[in-house]
Amino acid sequence: MTQQRTSPAAGAALPTVTKTITQEKINAYARAGGDGNPLHTDPAFAANTQFGGTIAHGMLVLAYVSEMLTAAFGEDWLASGRLKVRFRAPARPGDTLTSSGKVTSVDGGKTLCEVECRNESGEVLVSGEAEVSR
Amino acid sequence: MTTLAALEKGYEFPPASFDLSEEWVDAYVASVEDEAMAALDGGFVPPMAVAALAIRALLEHSSLPPGTLHAGQELAFAAPVRRGESLTAAARIASRGERAGWVLMAVELRVKRDGVAVMTGRATLSFPVAEGAAA
Repeated sequence: MTQQRTSPAAGAALPTVTKTITQEKINAYARAGGDGNPLHTDPAFAANTQFGGTIAHGMLVLAYVSEMLTAAFGEDWLASGRLKVRFRAPARPGDTLTSSGKVTSVDGGKTLCEVECRNESGEVLVSGEAEVSR
Repeated sequence: MTTLAALEKGYEFPPASFDLSEEWVDAYVASVEDEAMAALDGGFVPPMAVAALAIRALLEHSSLPPGTLHAGQELAFAAPVRRGESLTAAARIASRGERAGWVLMAVELRVKRDGVAVMTGRATLSFPVAEGAAA
């Protein structure tokens, strides 16, 4: 049975998703995603990079944004979602990330949203736009 | 294995087929702690999982240079994907340039089910020029 949802109106906030990043979670994502880039999984390697330590995969952080959009739009997100983001700053082990968004317009069956992900300091790590058709 | 740093604009990755096994999807969902998918009926796979597994399949034949950064991502989903389905991923290097000692590379990705696209995307990656020179 397909879950019926009410379209959020322009100006409506999307349901936030909050997660805390740990090295164990990064390692689990690296195994599942097959991305063993040492920047994510090797503290000794990462210590000698510009980041000074490991950082989370961009696609892991983006999965949190996608979870928010699934919660907001259900199957419509899976069937018609479009996402365009920039990764502006890294997420590090110990960071608590909050994905949030707002509907900016609803027009002709298309819902446009601003989306972002911030750390506990309020720094924007990911920002961009999402679109869903109904 | 070829590193991405050695590849030029226009390079086409060998198409890769992959299965969305229950075991792998469970591992993925656990790793990203996705709580929203459980509210949907139909055995759907998180759309980001399709992207992740497609990238994993393509990287079977070419590795990321150490320290590669993910600068941007575009994704478009055309149809829900379910557990147990088989998909095929293809990708090409859409652009490659250099700026301030870093290579900027855009990789276009297309994932199909039975010949019909279910997801397309474009990743912008960056890695030090030295990695490209060494490759």
